[in-house]
Amino acid sequence: MSGEFAALAHNARWEATRLRRSKRIWLLLIPVVAGPVGSGIADLYLQVPSAGTAEVLGLLITAGLASLVVLDLTALAVGEDLALRTHYLTFALPQPRVAALAGRLAVVVGGTLAAYGVGAVAVGGLANALVAPASAAPTPILVPLHLAVGILGLLVFLGGVTAAAGIVTRSASQALVAGILAGVVAAGVGSLFLIEGRLTTLFPWALAAAGLVGFAGCLVQYGRIES
Amino acid sequence: MPSEVLTVDGVWKRYGDHDALRDVRFSLRSGEAVGYLGPNGAGKTTTLKLLAGLSRPTKGSVRVQGLDPVRDRVRALRQLGALVETPGIPPYLTGADLLEYVARVKGVPAAQRGTAARHAAEEMNVAELLHRPFGSLSTGLARRVLLSSALVGDPEVLLLDEPTLGLDPAARHDLRQVLRTLSREGLTILLSTHLLEDVQEVCGRVLFLRDGALVGDEAVDLEVDPGADGSSRVLRLRFGSDLPLDLLTRAAGPDVRISRETPRQVVVRFAGGDAEQAELLGRIIRAGVPLLSASAPEPDLARRYLERVGREDAT
Repeated sequence: MSGEFAALAHNARWEATRLRRSKRIWLLLIPVVAGPVGSGIADLYLQVPSAGTAEVLGLLITAGLASLVVLDLTALAVGEDLALRTHYLTFALPQPRVAALAGRLAVVVGGTLAAYGVGAVAVGGLANALVAPASAAPTPILVPLHLAVGILGLLVFLGGVTAAAGIVTRSASQALVAGILAGVVAAGVGSLFLIEGRLTTLFPWALAAAGLVGFAGCLVQYGRIES
Repeated sequence: MPSEVLTVDGVWKRYGDHDALRDVRFSLRSGEAVGYLGPNGAGKTTTLKLLAGLSRPTKGSVRVQGLDPVRDRVRALRQLGALVETPGIPPYLTGADLLEYVARVKGVPAAQRGTAARHAAEEMNVAELLHRPFGSLSTGLARRVLLSSALVGDPEVLLLDEPTLGLDPAARHDLRQVLRTLSREGLTILLSTHLLEDVQEVCGRVLFLRDGALVGDEAVDLEVDPGADGSSRVLRLRFGSDLPLDLLTRAAGPDVRISRETPRQVVVRFAGGDAEQAELLGRIIRAGVPLLSASAPEPDLARRYLERVGREDAT
């Protein structure tokens, strides 16, 4: 294995150990279980006009939960070690720093995206199973498939902003606050575009791109940390 | 492997408008155990951070086994064990988690990782604690687990920053014994500490640092007692360039014992008084050896510390 790939793999495993020991790993079950359950209850007890609308509702619930998970896990993956100064130990090990952090972020962000994906599939299945088809039902406010994919962009955005904030503030809690604020802004701007009829697929792409810039900035800064 | 395992060459480190290190230069040969003494803020930890690849020098260069620990960090740090400052470990992680991770990153083969971790933990007498989370360990025990992480993978070079900090007297004694044993086994050790006892028991050479500048580089045990009859004398000689020892040996003659402290510094012991000293120095100068100074070394480490560094933090 090359140095970078080995460091990526070792640190991905290290992050998995940390998730397991801290029991944060259970957070990844929230979008998988709570999202579909919440959406199923809404399907059954709210007067949802169509399966499409039920899907949109369920996806928004699942996305909200997945957003909280990605914020929390990313903030801790970046900020916890810097706040505790664990990096004094890990930086003195023979591994590229950037690949080391990338391995850890891959687990928390990839894990959350996967959990959201499973939840989204379950939401779609439940909506089609629980909501009776109605020919006169209004068209959903958003195309469910577009929303499902677009939410991935939102999650990447939130992860990227939180990771970048974690490097700047060296604090998981402050990174979390920054991520929440970014989420509020993204939701507000998205809602505004929706009301004005200007919401296109460009919006989640832009969010994802901003998130990737955040991750890149975080990794570059991590490689340069001096104390 | 180069004979000089650690090299700090004309290093400056600037934080804002403050020079934490000023033109520091020294090197450690393979198998040397060297104490690094100085008060708070003298630049000891800064030096160790540079050698461990945590930081870059503003000017000058550092090398670990001939390699730049920042640019070539994977190769440079592979045989290095380091404990710089006091890293915090998340309270939910166990010692076993940490040591296994370190072993993995250091490239210990999978089949030997458990043994390597256990061996390192046994050195620090914490093998029985490896399955307890850090949050349940006292400061001293957590520090011993951290120290054992520096020993994972049998490093050839050890950088330790205040390793006995927070340890009880028994653990401190055990650690010094471990370090002495490792040193005898050929490990190169740079030990930054406030405790002169640490240096006296573990190291053969000591560096004194004050206000970011190296102000002393000498042997720990100088054996300067001239004897009751005053029949022998000890001098520290400093030279203007790296000196081939055989040149000095020829110039000094067979009755003079010579111990090299650095490539430019030796301690000589000879029988006699002022007349013999003058004759010896004359022989050395006539042989073309670039002698800069000759002085009587001070015997006591605490006194030497106070003379080099000042009163602050002398313990």
